[in-house]
Amino acid sequence: MSGPPVLVVGLGHPDRGDDAVGGAVAREVGRVAGPGVEVLEQEDPTDLVLLWEGRERVVVVDAVSSGGTVAPGTVHVLRTGAGRAPIAAGEWSRTGRGGTHAFGLAGAVELARALGRLPNDVTVVGVEVSALDQGAPLTPVVASAVPTAALAVLDVLAAAPADAGPPRGAGPRA
Amino acid sequence: MTDTTERDQVLHVATLARVEGEGGMHIEYRDGEVTDVQLRIYEPPRFYEAFLRGRSYTEPPDITARICGICPVAYQTSSCWALEDACGVAVTDEIRLGRRLLYCGEWIESHALHIYLLHAPDFLGYDGAIEMAADHKDLVERGLRMKKAGNDLMDVVGGRSVHPVNVRLGGFYRMPSREELLALRPGLEQGLEDALATVSLVAAFDFPDLEQPYEYLSLRPEEGYPIEDGRVVTSSGTEFDVREFTEHIEEFHVPHSNALHARLDGSPVPYSVGPLARYSLNADRLGEVAREAAGRAGLGPVCRNPFRSIVVRAVEVVEAFTEALRIIDGWRDGVAPSVPVPARAGEGFGASEAPRGTLFHRYVIDDAGIIEDAQIVPPTSQNQPSVEADLRTLVQAWRHLDDEALVHRCEQAIRNYDPCISCATHFLDLTVDRG
Repeated sequence: MSGPPVLVVGLGHPDRGDDAVGGAVAREVGRVAGPGVEVLEQEDPTDLVLLWEGRERVVVVDAVSSGGTVAPGTVHVLRTGAGRAPIAAGEWSRTGRGGTHAFGLAGAVELARALGRLPNDVTVVGVEVSALDQGAPLTPVVASAVPTAALAVLDVLAAAPADAGPPRGAGPRA
Repeated sequence: MTDTTERDQVLHVATLARVEGEGGMHIEYRDGEVTDVQLRIYEPPRFYEAFLRGRSYTEPPDITARICGICPVAYQTSSCWALEDACGVAVTDEIRLGRRLLYCGEWIESHALHIYLLHAPDFLGYDGAIEMAADHKDLVERGLRMKKAGNDLMDVVGGRSVHPVNVRLGGFYRMPSREELLALRPGLEQGLEDALATVSLVAAFDFPDLEQPYEYLSLRPEEGYPIEDGRVVTSSGTEFDVREFTEHIEEFHVPHSNALHARLDGSPVPYSVGPLARYSLNADRLGEVAREAAGRAGLGPVCRNPFRSIVVRAVEVVEAFTEALRIIDGWRDGVAPSVPVPARAGEGFGASEAPRGTLFHRYVIDDAGIIEDAQIVPPTSQNQPSVEADLRTLVQAWRHLDDEALVHRCEQAIRNYDPCISCATHFLDLTVDRG
């Protein structure tokens, strides 16, 4: 156990356009989150495997690219965790395999699952990006989606644990 | 499967797996002979040099740290040396030790990640760390435990484990206390034990035969193994001060890469930086524990097989843990965390040994401290010609392999260098099936 039972992590690079959206959403959530919630900004997804050890509930906010098929600013919510099925291969595509960082978010989830370190209740809130230019701020359309994504995170935090899946050990384990 | 001994083959890997940043690989055969090998890098780090112009001389340690999430301390350290050089300021021995200690944390983090999560799966026959974790949970856990020890060290000295916030021109905002550092000791001792076990593990891997005939370049300090500082030395006996690096190292552009290539003293022979170069030029400088571990692992005084870089990295992790423990044990409270660095017009040079090799910075500032020119020469840029030369040798030797096996071997050969291709984004590449 390395902190409060609930952890919210905003993933992304602060100086790469819409990649900064994870951190922006995390800061919004941090303004209103209660004392049992730790809110962090993080750039290296690999460290998630260490950060979320012992937590009951984790929400990770990250920038998402669906290859131009989804409107920028769209908020995706993906429920996963030790009691749920692995993230489908098609949904993690190049992340953590051939993409940018050594380990993407989905890679961190599945590595933690393989090690038995994945919390029972993990939610990924993704915000569809528009541009990822070096040194650029958030694009207006993605900046305007920050409150929506923050509300999606708060919805997850407000839901009863039972809504998020069977308790640890009670359901099918992947 | 295609037999690559046939005429006119082209192998193209659009995106390389398990390397930092985005890069691809392109290989062409004509009549069974390799005619073209390109490491394609399409992440452009050069913008940083442009947007540093016009900024204050106090900003590069924070701004350039953002170039890489894996080696920010290297950028902070090289930029501090360069700007302090421009201003004619030398820091105290205590600040130098603080930089070395912080740097040990980065080496541990970076090397542990590369050895266990990226490189070991190649040797143990897995697609990646997730698959490897299913059969070798203890090994992945060991890697993560070492990485965490590095993170904790960075947290205490640097203020946080990624992109430390405690580094400033002239030193640190705050020195860690002896008590804070001593609290790290148990984790570092465990880390040293894990690192020694890592050397034994990787030394037993099966390594393809390949000897690099290239020039090796690394820093060499007055004493100890090169980490945060030193003069430049090469395997052909050249030695020069970091202030002279632009006289010896020339960057040039090739059409297939957004990262500039580099040559040494005009030579067409590639030069290589990184663990193999550092080790081969400084094996005599390792501490006793790491030197003995290297001996047990069968490393001679020089190592020219790039596949054995994983062994050298493991030895360097031993050295980093040993050095961290040594520095912590000698730490004194009550020293000044920084020295003043008043601006003055001038040009400054700095270099340090990033986990992947020598990282050079050069700045020109005016008398108000505004940056007029900036130059950053990262290790992966310098290594591009030797990566391509390795690939050229290997794809010729391995031309009997089918495409899939050959691509895998080539990716492994690229991973020998732990390339850091200006990693910056990690958005989730998502496909949605609405069927």
